[in-house]
Amino acid sequence: MELKSDIEDTLTQQKQQKQEQQQEQHHFHVLAVDDSLIDRKLLEKLLKVSSCQVTCVESGDKALEYLGLLDGLECDATLSSSSFSSTQSSKQEGLRVNMIMTDYCMPGMSGYDLLKRVKGSSWKDVPVVLMSSENVPSRISMCLEEGAEEFLLKPLQLSDLEKLQPHLLKSIDHSCENNTKSNKDKNVDDDNNNCKSNNKLSKRKAMSPETPERRPKLKGLAVL
Amino acid sequence: RQVSLIRQSLFDQGFLDEQFIQLEELGDDANPNFVEEVVSLYYRDSVRLIHNLEQALEKSPLDYNKLDEYMHQFKGSSSSIGAKKVKAECTQFKEFCMAEYREGCMRTFQQVKREYTTLKKKLEAYFQV
Repeated sequence: MELKSDIEDTLTQQKQQKQEQQQEQHHFHVLAVDDSLIDRKLLEKLLKVSSCQVTCVESGDKALEYLGLLDGLECDATLSSSSFSSTQSSKQEGLRVNMIMTDYCMPGMSGYDLLKRVKGSSWKDVPVVLMSSENVPSRISMCLEEGAEEFLLKPLQLSDLEKLQPHLLKSIDHSCENNTKSNKDKNVDDDNNNCKSNNKLSKRKAMSPETPERRPKLKGLAVL
Repeated sequence: RQVSLIRQSLFDQGFLDEQFIQLEELGDDANPNFVEEVVSLYYRDSVRLIHNLEQALEKSPLDYNKLDEYMHQFKGSSSSIGAKKVKAECTQFKEFCMAEYREGCMRTFQQVKREYTTLKKKLEAYFQV
C-alpha cells in the first residue's frame, strides 16, 4: 500500500469533484432511488460516466422529501404545469431534476408507489425509469402504463443507460468540441418540448437507428 | 501475467460473470480502484445480510417472507458485482423459501455462506497481486 499514490488519488478526486460542482448547472441531473448500497454506487458511477449529475437516496420517502412532496409540502397537482415545463423545476429554489431512476422492490414505498406519487405531482413531466432484478412482464406493463419511461433489468450496465440516451444526450452540450453548436441548439429545443407527450413517441423512434452510432460517441463524450 | 491468469480462472470456474467486467470497465484514471471499492462495500453489506439471515433462521417458526426479503437483497448485491456462484445459491434458497421447505433453506444457506467465503478469499488474493 503506497501512501503517496493514495494522497495523489485523493487530490485527483477532489479536483474532479470541484470540476463537477462547477459544471452542475449544465448537467443532466438524475435522482437515483435504491435501497441497496451497492446498486446506488453502481448506478451513480454509470450515470457519472454518462456525464450526468447524480443524487442518490435510499428510499421512496427520501426521494419524496428531496422533491418536496412529503406531508403536503408541495402545492397540489392542479397547479398548471406550464409554468414549470421549460425548467422542470419545483418551488424549491433552483431544484432541477431531469430524470428519476428508481428500484422497484424497496422496503416501505415501492418504486411503483413512488412512480404514482411523482406522476400525480408537479413533477409529473419528469421521466421516471424503473429498475428491477426480476423480469415480470405484468409488473413491467403495469409500470409503463402508469407512465414509466423505461423499465430496466438489473444488474445495470452501460448498455442499459444507452436506452436512455435521448434524455441523457441533451445535457452533453460542452464536452464534445466538434458538435457543440448543433448539440446546443438541439438541447434548447428539446428542453422546451420535453413535457409534451408526443415527444415521447419521437424519442422512442429515434432510439433504434441512432443507438449503434451513439455507442462510440458516448464513451468519447464522458467527462473525466 | 499471473494476474490475468488468476482473473481468467475466476471466470472460467464460474465464480464471476460479465457483471464483474462491467465494474472493471467503469474504472478510469481518476478512479482506478472502482471494482475494489464496490467489492469492499459488498463485503460490508454481506456481513450485515448474512447476520440478519442467521438470526432469522434461528426463529421458530421461520418467517419465510422475511427470509426471502433478506435473501433478495443479498442476491441483488451479489448479482450487481458479478458473484455468479453466490447468486445461484441465493436463487436456490429463495426457491426453498417459496416452498417453505425448512431443511432446504438451512442446507442452502450453508452453501451460500460457503460460496461467499470462497469468493471473498479468491478476490482478496486477486486484488493483492
